[in-house]
Amino acid sequence: MLSRSQTSYLFRESFAGFHRRKLTTGVTILIMGSALLVLAILTLITFNMGHMLAKARQGIDMRVFLRADLTDTQMAELQPRLVVIPGVKDVTWISPEMALNEFKANLGEDAGILDMLDENPLPASFHLTLTPGARGLDSVRAIRDEVADWEEVSEILFNQQWIDALEQWTFRFRMASLIAGLIVFVAAVFVISNTVKLTMAANARVIQIQKLVGATNGFIRTPYLAEGMIQGFLAGAVAMGLLAVAGWLFGDRLGGIEFFSPAQIGGFILFCVTLGLIGSWSAMRKYLTMRSEI
Amino acid sequence: MKTDKHSNDGPLEARSVIGFYHVDLQYKDQKALSNVHFSVDNGEFLCLTGPSGAGKSSILRLIAMDAFPTKGEVMVRGMLASKMNRRRIPQLRREIGFVFQDFRLLADRSVEDNIAFAQLVVGVPRAAIMKNVMRVLTQVGLYGKRQRKPHELSGGEQQRIAIARAMVNSPKILLADEPTGNLDPVTAQEIIDLLFRINDGGTCVVFSTHDHQIVKTFGQRVIVIQDGRIASDVKRRVPVDRTASLADQMYRGTDAATAVDNIPATARQETVHA
Repeated sequence: MLSRSQTSYLFRESFAGFHRRKLTTGVTILIMGSALLVLAILTLITFNMGHMLAKARQGIDMRVFLRADLTDTQMAELQPRLVVIPGVKDVTWISPEMALNEFKANLGEDAGILDMLDENPLPASFHLTLTPGARGLDSVRAIRDEVADWEEVSEILFNQQWIDALEQWTFRFRMASLIAGLIVFVAAVFVISNTVKLTMAANARVIQIQKLVGATNGFIRTPYLAEGMIQGFLAGAVAMGLLAVAGWLFGDRLGGIEFFSPAQIGGFILFCVTLGLIGSWSAMRKYLTMRSEI
Repeated sequence: MKTDKHSNDGPLEARSVIGFYHVDLQYKDQKALSNVHFSVDNGEFLCLTGPSGAGKSSILRLIAMDAFPTKGEVMVRGMLASKMNRRRIPQLRREIGFVFQDFRLLADRSVEDNIAFAQLVVGVPRAAIMKNVMRVLTQVGLYGKRQRKPHELSGGEQQRIAIARAMVNSPKILLADEPTGNLDPVTAQEIIDLLFRINDGGTCVVFSTHDHQIVKTFGQRVIVIQDGRIASDVKRRVPVDRTASLADQMYRGTDAATAVDNIPATARQETVHA
């Protein structure tokens, strides 16, 4: 257990590096904050694309258009066959008239054009909604392939390309964030490690005396580990602060972008603190053998 | 010539506070010590001497467990180097005080902060720290200068502060590595007298010096190290008159070395190792 005098000593020493080298530490934190900002932006984009993908999948549905020459009975027989396909949640019959009305509603003021038509050109169709589990690209394709073979069916439409592209881009951004994350990780560890090494070099005599008089390695280490963690924390806070400012400045133009939740902000900063810890830990490996160069 | 008890090849003595048992120490490409065998009793004053680079500092480092023997065994306060858990080294260091030629004080802290620091980092409560700092500063006669910074003090005073720092944790062993190396003869003698006083209080003192002149004034046990081996291990029965200080002898032009050599051989116990 630490005594009270030890605790207050450790607390003071943890901030000593900041006091002694305000400029170096400040610049370090800014540089790291900027690097972490890049990472944060990439992560934010990845998150948002994930949201969009999930939403697009929710809205995924299928229109099965039927041949025009089918009788009502033939069409009616199709409905139960569609309902039993695995992944299909609901089947709605859309008559040519309903389709025309829907079309008219979509055209709005221009709907008058349709009055020029002698007969309704639109085919009858079934609207399939899918169960959440069947909204992946593969299962949607499987359903399509099954239904496409039926001779009653003329065409099947679904928002495949959009989801396809979205899925690809989400994957790319996820990879980019991962790579950027790795680079930022290594860079941040390196930078923090260097500033902590500076502090330790400046304190070489103090460390030596601590070893001589029997301070434990844990005790000697603590302020330097703390310094790295504080730097990581501040850099993370700077990154989040810059992101918030950017959100405030460009928010209306970006529209609909979801910012990090408080828990995610906490997680991000925890990640930065861990970075700091690893950085300072790697800094002191060579300094803290029990050798005291007597 | 009688065989001295310190240099026999028998097992380490139970009452020994330090024991070296046929120790070899090899640095990367250089042998620092070979077959060093001796023990130091509780409360003994031991002087290690020999030319620079002979291996005196290596012996001190082994005692501090800052180095470990390549062969043989080192025992300090009942702890064996071969069985030493590195996590327990700080515990051992709290029982050993260190003094160096270059004082090793923290330049940006006052005298009392320098000494308090040694207690602070091992977790002594603040009230006790204040009391202990006052005690050792009084002991070394520098209580009045407790607010000064080290650079405002003379070399001798700085060394006394270093000794005060070494003593504040009440160590059982005091290791002094060339503590007089940077000091003039008068001041050196004052430091040695201070070490004697500390030894009188029951602390085992191991004092290393390459200065032949200083050694010759000693009535204590002297181990001479040469090329990593013990060349001689001598305990004089008749103490040299400490009232005639080294400086006095030197300034009177007396060759202190001759003075010691003139002590009758019967008054000395000496073993010379080949």
